[in-house]
Amino acid sequence: MNYLSEMLKLPVIDSAGESIGIVNDLGIATGEVFPHVTSLAFQGPGKTPFMISWRKYVDRIDDTGVYLKVPATDIRFSYLQPDEVLLARDIMNKQIVDTQGMKVVRVNDIKLSASGENQLRLLGAEVGMRGLLRALHPALEHVAVKLARIVGKPLSEEIIAWSYMDLLERSTRTIKLSVSHKTLGELHPADIADIIEQLDPRLRGQVFAQLDTAQAAEAISEFDDDELVAEMLEGLSDRDASSMLALMDPDDAAALIEELDYEKAEKLLRLMGVKEERAIRTLLGYEENTAGRIMTSEFVALPATATVNDAIEGLKKLDEDFESVYYVYTTDPAGSLTGVLSLRALIVADRDARLNSLAYRDVVWVSPDEDQEDVAEEMSKYNLAAMPVCDENRHILGIVTVDDAMEVMNEEHQEDLQIAGVGGSEGSSGESMHMFSWFARRQYWLLIWAIASGIIAAALEMMGGFADLFIYPMCVMPVALLASSRVVSFVRNYYLEYDESDDEDKPYLAFFLQTALLGAVMALVIYLCGQLVLGAAYPDGIPVPAVAEGARDMTSALHAQLLSGCFGCAAAVTFACCALSVIYLKVLFWRDEHDLNTSGIALSVSAVLVSCVLYSIASVLLVFWFVA
Amino acid sequence: MRRGTHEKLTAGMVLGAMGPGLLAALSGNDAGGIATYSSAGASYGYGTLWMLPLMAVLLIVVQETAARCGCVTGKGFASLIRERFGVRKSALAMAALLIANTAVTISEFAGIASGLALFGVPATVSVPLVGLAIWLLTMSGSFQRIEKVLLMVSCVFVTYIVAAFLAGPDWGAVAAATVSPHVVPEPEYVSLLVATIGTTIAPWMVFLAQNNVVDKNVDESGIILQRIDTASGSIIACAVAWFIVVTTGAVLYPAGVQVADAADAALALEPIAGQFSTVLFASGLVAASFLAACVLPGVTSSAICEAFGWERGADRSWEEAPVYRGIITAIILASALLVIMPGVNLFQIMMSAQVINGVLLPVLLVFLLFIAQDKHIMGDYRNGRVWNVLTWATIVIITVLTIVMFVLQALGY
Repeated sequence: MNYLSEMLKLPVIDSAGESIGIVNDLGIATGEVFPHVTSLAFQGPGKTPFMISWRKYVDRIDDTGVYLKVPATDIRFSYLQPDEVLLARDIMNKQIVDTQGMKVVRVNDIKLSASGENQLRLLGAEVGMRGLLRALHPALEHVAVKLARIVGKPLSEEIIAWSYMDLLERSTRTIKLSVSHKTLGELHPADIADIIEQLDPRLRGQVFAQLDTAQAAEAISEFDDDELVAEMLEGLSDRDASSMLALMDPDDAAALIEELDYEKAEKLLRLMGVKEERAIRTLLGYEENTAGRIMTSEFVALPATATVNDAIEGLKKLDEDFESVYYVYTTDPAGSLTGVLSLRALIVADRDARLNSLAYRDVVWVSPDEDQEDVAEEMSKYNLAAMPVCDENRHILGIVTVDDAMEVMNEEHQEDLQIAGVGGSEGSSGESMHMFSWFARRQYWLLIWAIASGIIAAALEMMGGFADLFIYPMCVMPVALLASSRVVSFVRNYYLEYDESDDEDKPYLAFFLQTALLGAVMALVIYLCGQLVLGAAYPDGIPVPAVAEGARDMTSALHAQLLSGCFGCAAAVTFACCALSVIYLKVLFWRDEHDLNTSGIALSVSAVLVSCVLYSIASVLLVFWFVA
Repeated sequence: MRRGTHEKLTAGMVLGAMGPGLLAALSGNDAGGIATYSSAGASYGYGTLWMLPLMAVLLIVVQETAARCGCVTGKGFASLIRERFGVRKSALAMAALLIANTAVTISEFAGIASGLALFGVPATVSVPLVGLAIWLLTMSGSFQRIEKVLLMVSCVFVTYIVAAFLAGPDWGAVAAATVSPHVVPEPEYVSLLVATIGTTIAPWMVFLAQNNVVDKNVDESGIILQRIDTASGSIIACAVAWFIVVTTGAVLYPAGVQVADAADAALALEPIAGQFSTVLFASGLVAASFLAACVLPGVTSSAICEAFGWERGADRSWEEAPVYRGIITAIILASALLVIMPGVNLFQIMMSAQVINGVLLPVLLVFLLFIAQDKHIMGDYRNGRVWNVLTWATIVIITVLTIVMFVLQALGY
């Protein structure tokens, strides 16, 4: 008797040898690492459910049934205790969180272990393939295990111990779980966020509600998906949401509030304490993507005349949730920033030394309107863990800490990668490049080529039955497609390398002239290549219709004209695409200004499609004109 | 428990809620639907019209039940089956779903192939290319970007409504046929009935209806809006089907045209589009089939992975969700291969898939019914008596029709 699936439906037999029902469920006491089975639920005659104490009545168990110590008449029934969980009802087939593997899994079977005569303990939940096969039919499991061994990849059990599972739906049943239990709440907030993202929307709300406010506040600032955050906040009561935001670092809270609609945001802000509300409102007053938005007002600044002792005492009095302190800043009597000390300098210095004698005077600071990316770059340049943000009088308004700066860098990096067409908009980080997705991203033009050729053939057929001539437009088309896709990657590189910090007008005209010249050169090369091909194809001189005699010469002349014409089309389309590529640049800048993410692949697909359409129309008209 | 249902319903809320149902209804008229309704009209005139009002009622019952289950539990249909019935029975349900949906996907590929054949592209060329495109779209999850475009194009079937009026049917006869049930004891007729049920109340629509609700996290207070949505969507879907039967019944049936391929079916649009009827029909057929072929493998694979607890979702890589991606790939590959095989009758495939759908539908309906009437799962929102009777009626009708169909075929009629 190792698995719950095998236990269920076993007969329950009393000491007189009478069968009094079949096993329905097992109850466990939740307070242990490997919990004992404490009660037995069985289904008596007429489908009546009964529950009895396991320890008191069960004598022994084997493959044939559960044998009781007493006759049926002596049994006293019991009820489910508050600390008990029913295995079949609450765990089997349900989704649980594997708090060790940080995954949401479904329980396929439950592994038990018999100890002594009549003791049964829960080992854990089986979540792997073997449990699934066993539940279908035990024979299936045996066959699969044997087969797997022959192949050399043994099929092992995937067991999650009781102490590493968290029951997702327990809130509905109000089951109290034991202290020995590692629940979701004990994980790192970033891991909690990862797990919650894997759940269905409804369950997400329930699990989130189980966390206490401080954990929720930390977890919510770890979500990657802004929509999800707004959704979670909508799900909370206004009071909870507001107190959660108040607990967060003001800059994180400001970022969240921005995602909400105006009314909700106002309501939440009004419910907060005055201090927190003011801090968040001040941050929201700064423009988006500026240093003001990501700075925190939690920093330590002391008069330059204070002693080291004062500083250390001051630090000791700070709240526990004060954002990490990296530096102590010194100010003159007017409140202006004069110097900075690292914590190390503070600790090793004499206790009664004055701060101004220790402080580093040449402080680097930024104004609140500074672009976030520039702040991050400055911090990395000067190797700072925090950057003070000051107004024009050098009064400190706040500091930008290294974690926020890293986030800014990371976002910027992601955007650039996306435009470069490496990480697609849907690409989760760390996804390995699959061969086929590489094909889809880089060589999709093959598909476009094939489909467009088909359409050209159909169009020629409809215009008078010249379908067999489609071969000429078709064989030259890749030139135009590839040229346009190259041009887009040129535009992307130009965009990525463009230094945005100077606020001059974007150099559209210069770019246009540059690409137009490039286009002209490429068009010329393509046209010359066409002439080269023609020269090789007709070594005796290219046939010209004017001097053609006889039908055969006419056809051959027509074909030569078509080939050269198609190269001409390709050249013209390439030139047009190059010259118009300034539009793509404009699109990129426009989307960047409106804070929209741009996928490089989408851009190059549309560029290839545009050139494909242009070329198709041009070549079909050409064929029609020559033939008619 | 019944809180929040007394909120005032504004017109805006109602219109907003009507979206997904309409989309589902319009995409429900896919290749199989067009084929079935066209050949129903062509072979039996108005003889199957009486089915459609009935179908509208049953479709509302089934879709409403599914949406309500989603509202109350916040879980997908596959999850509910697994948690209520255990591994073995969910394996049965998922097998039924897999077979039915693979059959439908095959019929969508057949629809694409025969639609493109009207443009002169042979199946051996169109199917591999389109199959590759569908596979890439579903794998990369970028399908949503073109979803709207496809929906617009597949709306051309709404032209059947105009075509029906232009065809000038005898409206008296149409009305009479709609309200008077009429059965022809032929195996073709019975299998046509099964196919009609199978294509109108497709198993995948049940899953899709519930998933829509779950993804939006609608709770009990949203049930009323969901009802409006499912009812309007179902009625429109059946109305379009009704007009297709009327049109084909008025144009093709008197001419004695038996619908054997897409070109025949396209003839029904001649009164409205003249010589462009082929282009109109073919583009609609290709768009509708392409749309459904992109949706179906994902829905199927997602349901199976949900039931067995495997990772799923278009944003998961091959390493993270091998089963999810594997099932999608297998369905697309199998469908494409089957359609390319030489000598297959594409139109016949589209019809047979709907028969398979109809035959397997009762299996899933029984699960839906038991879940919807379970007090532990549904609480105060469990099925009322009328709903139970109607669902049982659907199950019994289809089962009886299926048996009759097989018996008639066995007897060699």
